[in-house]
Amino acid sequence: MKNQVKSANGRPIFVSVVAILTACCALGIGFWLIVRSMAGTAGGDVSAPLGRMSPFAVVVAALLVAGIGLVVAWGMWRLKNWARTALILILGGTLMAFLIGIVFQVAARVFAGEHVVAIGETMAILGQALVRVVTVCAVPVGIIYGLIHYGWHFEESVGQRKLLDRMMRYLLLSAALSSIVIVFLIIVFTMTEAWKSIKVVGADTMLFGTVWRPGSIIGNDTAQLGMLPMVVGSILSTAGAVILGVPLSIGTAVLLAEIAPPTVRQIVRPAIELLAGIPSVIYGLFGMVVIAPIIQKAWPQIPYNTGYGLLNASIILAVMIIPTVTNIAEDAIRAVPRLYKEGSLALGATHFQTIVQVILPSARSGLIAAIILGIGRALGETMAVIMVIGNSIAFPAPLLEDKLWTIVLSTARTLTGNIAVEIAYAEGVHRSALFFTGVLLFGMIFITNSVARYMMKEREAK
Amino acid sequence: MSSQASARSDTLTARQSLIRHVDNLFFRKLAQALAFAGFWLAGVIVVVALAWIVGYVVINGFRVVNWEFLTTRPAGGVSGEGGMSTTIVTTLYLVVLTIAIATPLGVGAAVYLVEYAGEAQAASKLVAFLVKVARTGVEILAGVPSIIFGLFGFALFVSALKLKFSLLSAGLSGACLILPVIVRTAEEALLAVPRAYREGSLALGATKWQTITQVVLPAALPGIVTGIVLSVGRIVAETAIFWVTLGGSYRLPTSLLSSGRTMALHVYSLASETRAFDKAMGTAAILIVIIVLLNLVINYTLRTLSARAMGRM
Repeated sequence: MKNQVKSANGRPIFVSVVAILTACCALGIGFWLIVRSMAGTAGGDVSAPLGRMSPFAVVVAALLVAGIGLVVAWGMWRLKNWARTALILILGGTLMAFLIGIVFQVAARVFAGEHVVAIGETMAILGQALVRVVTVCAVPVGIIYGLIHYGWHFEESVGQRKLLDRMMRYLLLSAALSSIVIVFLIIVFTMTEAWKSIKVVGADTMLFGTVWRPGSIIGNDTAQLGMLPMVVGSILSTAGAVILGVPLSIGTAVLLAEIAPPTVRQIVRPAIELLAGIPSVIYGLFGMVVIAPIIQKAWPQIPYNTGYGLLNASIILAVMIIPTVTNIAEDAIRAVPRLYKEGSLALGATHFQTIVQVILPSARSGLIAAIILGIGRALGETMAVIMVIGNSIAFPAPLLEDKLWTIVLSTARTLTGNIAVEIAYAEGVHRSALFFTGVLLFGMIFITNSVARYMMKEREAK
Repeated sequence: MSSQASARSDTLTARQSLIRHVDNLFFRKLAQALAFAGFWLAGVIVVVALAWIVGYVVINGFRVVNWEFLTTRPAGGVSGEGGMSTTIVTTLYLVVLTIAIATPLGVGAAVYLVEYAGEAQAASKLVAFLVKVARTGVEILAGVPSIIFGLFGFALFVSALKLKFSLLSAGLSGACLILPVIVRTAEEALLAVPRAYREGSLALGATKWQTITQVVLPAALPGIVTGIVLSVGRIVAETAIFWVTLGGSYRLPTSLLSSGRTMALHVYSLASETRAFDKAMGTAAILIVIIVLLNLVINYTLRTLSARAMGRM
């Protein structure tokens, strides 16, 4: 191995210089520490931290520093290529930290004020920053460039290459396992935080309790953390979104996959994908500014009709699940073999009959998966819903007692909204109960997603 | 058994009679025309809804957008006055931080799942189990709603690790959110690299790691970049996680440990706390512009990718 290293590497001057410098530095620091400790004991200088240590400890420390420095220098000499990598990484990291600091400073001077900074001043600040960056970075960047440019001096040996190969294998395996570790951590942390409320209040009381009044908890008076209103709110708003959104989505999917000319598809499909990327708060804002007044004006004679409530939330959620459902449903329809369609058409069925009796039934599992994924998305949505649903902690109920349909105008609160609204100031059992809300939500979504995944797998298996 | 069979034949005959009744070409064509009109209507409603929302927000939003709005900080409090400069900068910080955390992990995971998993699975039962578990982990993580990531980040980073409401806790929680996105897109990109590339490199005597870094990853780079741009979009659009991990300070973060406010959070705060809807619209309009630009970038890279793939075939 030793021979291989030597023969492969020749005599790289760069590393020898750095190694010798490191050794000199280590020895120098050690020597300086010894001198310093002697001066400290002699002069009684206790202001420096070293002055307070006993000379013996300082000598040991100095020897340690020198020893470590020498080992590092020897290691660099021995394993030049890895020393080079380490040097590049350390220098690069330091430079990155420095640059981030500069960026923070510049941003703070230009953007943090309440008044507009003039263009000239902005330029001056940028110029100063640039000068600082150039002066500080010149030497390290030069070193990095040199190390990379003359990299062929530092070819690793075959043994080292194999070691690296094996190391990377395990490193990458651990990266691959990071997702499951995160899932595990999520479960552990939400469960442990939720455990307190389960112990104090009881899971059944929280699941089926109908009153949520966390502010009124006094001691062990535990009947006030019921989540049933939120569960009902979540289910009702999601159901509304499905009723409004799914027919539109499936209709659009059929249109794009079967009926519309390719040009229409080329325009509409990216537009729908864009719809999926728009931040949910923008939908919420739209619901507040546009849809709430419309709902309010539509039924002005109904008392307490503020425009915020289940109907508004369902409309917003429907718009938000349309892209998900449409895209997956269209893929499912496209995945139906052409032969089915051709066979049906050849038997004399119209295109519409073919769609209804052949294509949609064979795409069924994909369509169901699309709908279930849409349900998952609607259940998990938080901020947009908070903005339009009114967030009342009461059970959703019809605003007019004799007309059941007015329940859609009632304000409500979802499980997600319950967490987001109260988590910032909740404490004790209340906080723990919010984590239990999270566990509940996670369970609901996990079940819906598992069903959807099973459906997708079944489709692929066909 | 027999009752089942008879029920089935009943439905069959009912169906057949139904077909006989509509077996009139005119009615069938009428039904088709009506149904297709319905499908077109659905499509038109969806497109009009999109155009209405985007158009309304952009047109109303750009009324308040000017240079001062972009370069001064929000005044804070309930007045809703001031601009949005600090929120833009904070969003930028957060995007860079999140990507820097999630990309090495995600791409590393994808490389393992594509390049190593197959042979490793055959070699050892433990590894085979781990690979299966890792794949399940990515799938589960992709379905976790964002508020759960927020709760998790709040419990682990904000409370347990005492990072408080800060860029760092928000970045770590956000990285958990985009990890599955990056893993999946990187996996697809790696799978699209032809086998011949790897075989050629290995035949020249390169180790597996050399093959990956010098042949496979460069070939898969455009696909990986697409995944990263996709996750940038997720981070810019995300609100719930940052609501419970980033705090909501309208000031500029001075370090990784200080609180801040992204653009999406700013929209939420303005709309729900101050009722300064015009400023919220302005911020939302800027957000939409950013999302549209990101979408254009993704479409462009995907198109060049597929064009390249076609050329290769």
